[in-house]
Amino acid sequence: MGCDVVTVSTDTKFVHLAWREHEKELSKVAYPMGSDPTGTVSRMFGVYGEDNGLDLRGSFIINPEGVLMGSEVNFYNLGRNIDELMRKFKANVYLSRKTNEGCPSKWKDEGDKTLAPSAKMVGRVHEALND
Amino acid sequence: MSNCDCGCECGEPLKLGQKVPEFTLETYEPTKGDFGSFSLADQIAKKRWTILFFYPADFTFV
Repeated sequence: MGCDVVTVSTDTKFVHLAWREHEKELSKVAYPMGSDPTGTVSRMFGVYGEDNGLDLRGSFIINPEGVLMGSEVNFYNLGRNIDELMRKFKANVYLSRKTNEGCPSKWKDEGDKTLAPSAKMVGRVHEALND
Repeated sequence: MSNCDCGCECGEPLKLGQKVPEFTLETYEPTKGDFGSFSLADQIAKKRWTILFFYPADFTFV
């Protein structure tokens, strides 16, 4: 799909190595684990905790032109749903090719129904979704 | 925090639709078993999407 996932925390790369190699739950992790101990990149994305030096649970989707296309930030104790992240990622990829369409809330993958907004659709979204 | 002149929005976090300033991060790469680095500039040069996934700390839960 032409996408790279990078995880980031304020831990050093040494801690990442130790965690990845020690924790069996991570044995399938193949993506780069980024280290931001000074919080520079974390602050850019608004997830750095100034009072504790820890990052909030933020996910950010950046397109191949370097533009920020999606973001989700949760507090420390609320895990993100990866299926939803993948859904939003796929929708972003699809919409980058189909710039005159919209993905409704039930859209999950390519092939699902989309909307092509137009004057004819005003007040008739129900028909557009159900025909 | 508006003491930088790099042209980026240093005091304000990024907004959707904004071009992300180029950045690099030191990394641990499990596929190589070695340290490396990630660069947004490289991603743009290779025309690849990027998902950045921030989390609080290694060796914790959730």
